[in-house]
Amino acid sequence: MDFALSDEQKQIKEEVARFAENEIEPVAQEYDVEEKYPWDIIEKAADAGLLGAHIPFEYGGADYGNLESALITEELFAVDPGIGLSLTSTSFGADAIMEFGTDDQKERFLEPIPTGDAIMGAAISEPDTGSDVSSVSTQAEKDGDEWVINGNKMWITNGSIGDYYVVLCETDPDAEGRYNGFSQIVVESDRDGFEAEKITGKLGIRASDTAELILKDVRVPEENLIGTRGMGFLQQMQFFDETRTAVAAQGVGIAKGANEAALSYAQEREQFDRPISDFQAIQHKLSDMHTRTEAARMLTYKAAWNVDQGADITKLASMAKEYASRVAVDVANEAVQIHGGAGFVNDFPVERFYRDAKITQIYEGTTEIQKNIIARELLGKGY
Amino acid sequence: MKVLVTVKEVAAVEDEFQIAGTSIDETYLEYDLNEWDDYAVEEAVQLQEAGIADEVVAVTIGPERSEETIRMALAKGADRAVRIWDDALEGADLLDVGAKTAILEKVVEEEDPDIVLSGVQADDDGFGATGVSLADALGYEWAAVVNHLDQDSVESGTASVRRELEGGVEELTDVELPAVLTIQTGINEPRYASLRGIRQAQRKEIAPKTLGDLGLDAAAVENELELTDMYEPETESDATYFEGGPDEAAGQLADLLREKGVGAQ
Ligand SMILES: Cc1cc2nc3c(=O)[nH]c(=O)nc-3n(C[C@H](O)[C@H](O)[C@H](O)COP(=O)(O)OP(=O)(O)OC[C@H]3O[C@@H](n4cnc5c(N)ncnc54)[C@H](O)[C@@H]3O)c2cc1C
Repeated sequence: MDFALSDEQKQIKEEVARFAENEIEPVAQEYDVEEKYPWDIIEKAADAGLLGAHIPFEYGGADYGNLESALITEELFAVDPGIGLSLTSTSFGADAIMEFGTDDQKERFLEPIPTGDAIMGAAISEPDTGSDVSSVSTQAEKDGDEWVINGNKMWITNGSIGDYYVVLCETDPDAEGRYNGFSQIVVESDRDGFEAEKITGKLGIRASDTAELILKDVRVPEENLIGTRGMGFLQQMQFFDETRTAVAAQGVGIAKGANEAALSYAQEREQFDRPISDFQAIQHKLSDMHTRTEAARMLTYKAAWNVDQGADITKLASMAKEYASRVAVDVANEAVQIHGGAGFVNDFPVERFYRDAKITQIYEGTTEIQKNIIARELLGKGY
Repeated sequence: MKVLVTVKEVAAVEDEFQIAGTSIDETYLEYDLNEWDDYAVEEAVQLQEAGIADEVVAVTIGPERSEETIRMALAKGADRAVRIWDDALEGADLLDVGAKTAILEKVVEEEDPDIVLSGVQADDDGFGATGVSLADALGYEWAAVVNHLDQDSVESGTASVRRELEGGVEELTDVELPAVLTIQTGINEPRYASLRGIRQAQRKEIAPKTLGDLGLDAAAVENELELTDMYEPETESDATYFEGGPDEAAGQLADLLREKGVGAQ
């Protein structure tokens, strides 16, 4: 058993942390308040070669695995989750193309990601389809050598600023079995009939773009189908281990950022003629926050490492996602408490962490769904 | 054209630390690439990207641990590195300029670069002399504290540089290659190492060499300096407020400056 990061992993962490501190921290509050997409930072990150970490080498990425991606996510989210998500999500949906795409699809859709020339997304959720993914109702019908797509996709990260999306559609409504008859089809945002409405007023991760996609008779060439027709749901499911581990890393990052802020504030703020870190009540909070963060980190790294070994880790990924997101929410809450009134306004980053943390319990499967999965695996029940 | 960049891993102390005799325990130290060297690496990589340099080689004197830091120079674009270390160096508590010069001179002879870029100084021992001393030993021309390099000039065999002198004065000068330039911070904007670069750097060569490999023996690096004491300097701050109108305040300021020795002939 080896708990040490390699020199290479340490170098990644340090360089990403340096980027986050120099380029993101000074503008994080501004993007949050104005709820605007961080184009400038995306461009800087593209220039610095920090985008598309897991895209294969031949398509311009660094070909990094889940553990390295988790380290990158952690460092970015520790500084600002909204901009952090904007950076890590430019390749959302790329997994499916990497695994099931043709060479042509890989060239078209993967190559522009690391250079920042394109931003993509994964469109699964719909107004009536959230936790129950198998209820997807967006229809794709074959017409000659084209797919004609109709439906609405809800809560899509990068929805109003992206270039293309891997859209989960129903292609064969008559297929037998709950999970059959779906397909993953790439839809470009410049197709006729494609419309996106930015969703504003978000509680947190406000720099990240979220939108509703409205698809009305959108025609895409048949070459845009990823993998096998009718197998889209099962293809999608293959990456839950990856995506849940990634959200776990987001939680660890938020907790880390909140911890650091709380620790330094506790040593600076004086009341009753001493730093508040002299009070045992505050000390115990800090101990607890750091201990739980470290536990979440270990669970997350273990999940990421296992995915990289090719192991099937449904239960572990759900445990990491559920626990790390809960720790993020709890730790951010305590960090605000330690800041007192100062934590209630956005002069300090903990106010933002407190709002940003919540999303990690909702997307990529809610906390309740993760617990359902863990229990299902424990009890040996199929889904 | 070949560019050799001298790089060094330097230690910085954490906010809280303790001195034990003439050293500081590892637990209080953080290692990083010397800030000035980061600019020198960037300048070299830019020469390569402009198609002027064909090869950028980084050279360092340091223990195995320093490879982690030196690899960042490779991640930013240097092609390979040479690392010199030896039992004879392990024992020394301070490596003086003469010893560094003796070692680097041998490396330059072996590598035969057209330009050597070094940092103006190192963040830790701060001698600020190695680059120029090396040029002197080699019989190369040099320019110290360079804050601008005209890349096109390099191609023609003469480096047109701008040097920073004291008191805000700058000098434009030409040095004939081969030459050593000591690079000042601010000459460029050092890049972040890209993820791809970090990945590729793991497979780039860092060739370890001993003194023997360079044809040197322990005597060549014998130090004339000895570290006798280490302490934290006391920090003091002193503020003087001048009262009165501009004329009066200016007069008081002039008196104070004269008293402190500024502008004394
Ligand atoms: C900012 C943001 C970004 C997003 N980005 C994307 C994206 O890029 N792509 C995408 O496809 N989607 C995205 N989503 C959607 C997200 O994945 C869903 O919101 C999430 O899956 C939950 O679905 P829902 O909102 O419909 O909630 P619902 O499924 O309606 O759940 C409501 C509540 O009921 C609970 N519940 C539901 N079913 C069960 C059950 N069986 N047992 C117990 N409790 C249950 C849930 O846990 C929850 O508490 C994003 C959402 C947000 C807010």
